[in-house]
Amino acid sequence: MTDELRVSVDRRGATGAILYTKGYINNVGGEEIANRAYELMDDGVRSLLLNLRDTKIVNSIGISILIEIIEKMIDKGGQIGFCCLTPVIHKTFQIMGLANYAKIFSDEETALKEMGLS
Amino acid sequence: MNATAERKMELTLPMVPDIEIAAARAASNLARELGMASESIDEMAHAMIEACINAREHSGSEDRRIYVRITGTSLGEGNSRIDIWISDHGKGFNLAEARSKREQTRGAVHKRGWGLSIIEAHMDEVGISSSADGTTIHMVKYGKRSES
Repeated sequence: MTDELRVSVDRRGATGAILYTKGYINNVGGEEIANRAYELMDDGVRSLLLNLRDTKIVNSIGISILIEIIEKMIDKGGQIGFCCLTPVIHKTFQIMGLANYAKIFSDEETALKEMGLS
Repeated sequence: MNATAERKMELTLPMVPDIEIAAARAASNLARELGMASESIDEMAHAMIEACINAREHSGSEDRRIYVRITGTSLGEGNSRIDIWISDHGKGFNLAEARSKREQTRGAVHKRGWGLSIIEAHMDEVGISSSADGTTIHMVKYGKRSES
């Protein structure tokens, strides 16, 4: 029944990375993303794109963890972007104010260009 | 307009992690049977997820059960209506107090306590009744038939 989250990473140079998620971003999924994001930050990544093309469901607890990741990246002087959101996830991000702290792009190509990762 | 309750479902779910997905999938299947558009179904599913999480995390119920009732009604001309009631037998909460707390923190950076805002944004009608015997949230979603 559980749509367990899977995460994969594509490094882009010394300071960039794309993090792909697949599955439900709940508290457990959010923590999984956070662990991978913090590993990347410790390894020097300062531009991180989260591609949510294979995530169709999120909850407020999972999003609250994403906001913590954004705050940590901002503290380090970096940037986080999101792309390929479903309309409902996009709307939920806006409700929770996530869009105020991170850039949201419609597709990966645009995101990579705008974030200097291409 | 002739509106009749065409679909009806009742579920009693244990308060275990991710049970909200089972509730959302059940409602989504019912909405799909009525031909509701996928974006409306997704919004409804996300609202249900938040309502179930609120019940699981905050109700303090001793029976550790979430009671879900769903009715789907075809309104004619491709329009439909889904009614969802999510209930618990917990200790209840003061809705005015909860809303006041939310207003006080509006605009500030706060990570938790967004469930009710998400529910209200994704559903067309939301009503909450809460007492020392438990809480029921009644949510309504109207939909148009999917083009596909």
